Amino acid sequence: MKFREKLQSGKFVITCEVPPPKGTDTSYSIENASFIRELADAVNVTDNQCAQLHMSSIAFSTLLKQNGYEPIMQMTCRDRNRIGIQSDVLGAYGLGIRNILIMSGDYPTFGNQPGAKPVYDLDSVHALNAISLLKKGTSLSGSNIAGPFDMCVGAVCNPVPEKKFQIMKLEKKVKAGAEFIQTQAVFDVDMFSEFMDLIRDRGIDIPILSGIVPLRSVEMARYMNQNIPGISVPPEIIKRMEYADDQIEEGIEITAEIIKCMKNISNGIHIMPIKSHRCTKNLLRRSNFL
Amino acid sequence: MILTESKPLGEIISKIDKKSNVFIIGCNVCAAKMGTGGEPEIKALTDALTELGYNVGGSILPTAACSIRSYESLVERNENIQNADVVLVMSCGSGSSVVATVLDIPVVCTTNTLSLGGLSKGDIHTRICIMCGDCTSSIYGGLCPTAECPKSQLNGPCGGSKDGKCEVGNKDCIWELIEKRFSGQENLPFEHYITHKDHRND
Repeated sequence: MKFREKLQSGKFVITCEVPPPKGTDTSYSIENASFIRELADAVNVTDNQCAQLHMSSIAFSTLLKQNGYEPIMQMTCRDRNRIGIQSDVLGAYGLGIRNILIMSGDYPTFGNQPGAKPVYDLDSVHALNAISLLKKGTSLSGSNIAGPFDMCVGAVCNPVPEKKFQIMKLEKKVKAGAEFIQTQAVFDVDMFSEFMDLIRDRGIDIPILSGIVPLRSVEMARYMNQNIPGISVPPEIIKRMEYADDQIEEGIEITAEIIKCMKNISNGIHIMPIKSHRCTKNLLRRSNFL
Repeated sequence: MILTESKPLGEIISKIDKKSNVFIIGCNVCAAKMGTGGEPEIKALTDALTELGYNVGGSILPTAACSIRSYESLVERNENIQNADVVLVMSCGSGSSVVATVLDIPVVCTTNTLSLGGLSKGDIHTRICIMCGDCTSSIYGGLCPTAECPKSQLNGPCGGSKDGKCEVGNKDCIWELIEKRFSGQENLPFEHYITHKDHRND
């Protein structure tokens, strides 16, 4: 079943993130994808994530498609103006890519090209709107687009209930044509549940795929808590990691517990491991998926 | 106010031949306020260059370096400019560009122009306008996410702020400030889709 069909069917969806290589040697990235073959409904291909230079998302999405995967091509508004965004979306369609995820993108100063000129000609809501217009046969400026075009379009959000303006923006993303949402990593199940209740109460009816980042150490949990916006690791999880004999094993156990909770709260999960997907199969088995 | 910073002396002298006759033009508006092109800075640069063995033939401090009538108006203020081989302009890029339009000798700008900012209650505010040519700040109560959000997010905050601080640099997230300004209000003027900018006047 295709990713969009599965989203629309209401079945629980699993997506996984596979970054392109930092160069032209694709062997590691292709091997990373192989760990989740048959497990993931679709594979997110990041767009120069953390503003670090990688092979383009459009190229690696195409390579994954040629290798039998269904890619979700991520696209940021950081590196392209409105011409570039629309042109790359059309190009991706021409190469057979049918899913896209739009986001603002990490600022250049965080990455390894810190002096790069940031573009941000369009914000993420504008970019979603541009794609909706392409589906109707026109560009953002109203010029005609020749030939068919359709894509399953997604957007992102931080699942934090008290961030009213982020929820306002989520609402705008849905109105601008987003068909699914992938969230920042979830560790606090109660807070995520509150977020889901809040958006459903506001009438935001869209499949939400909860972000999952398997914990590897207590230091990683603390670091994310302090430094990554939108992530909140509850104290009891920090404590469990701190006192675990085997932190990797405890991290998988905690993550599996979170995934099991998500089955009743969200519409799917989006797995973004810090390293490779080597442990993802085990994680899904422990979450009673296999 | 145009915000500027002085270039390091080493970078300035790398652009000047030691045998040349140097003339300095300051700016008594923004650069004077920024301490990059007023009276004291002209004197300090003159002294520093003289000490290094450069021949500084004179200087002038026009009201605004970005508003020079003619070459003759500069000569009226200090005729030594006629002997100059190179002119150092201690102003923003606009000032040095205007000076260059009335001179046919090399012009060296001694500052980096940072942004269109402001001065309020003694604090310097950087990048509060990016001169987009399509002002929409009234939608946000006079604040401008086009300029003050590094990602120019017009429809709401990105996910990158933490504890009210922007992920880029040590400053408040403009969307947090907008949220404070509109707290308790209903029917926010930006709660519907805010369209993209027209950059033709950029």
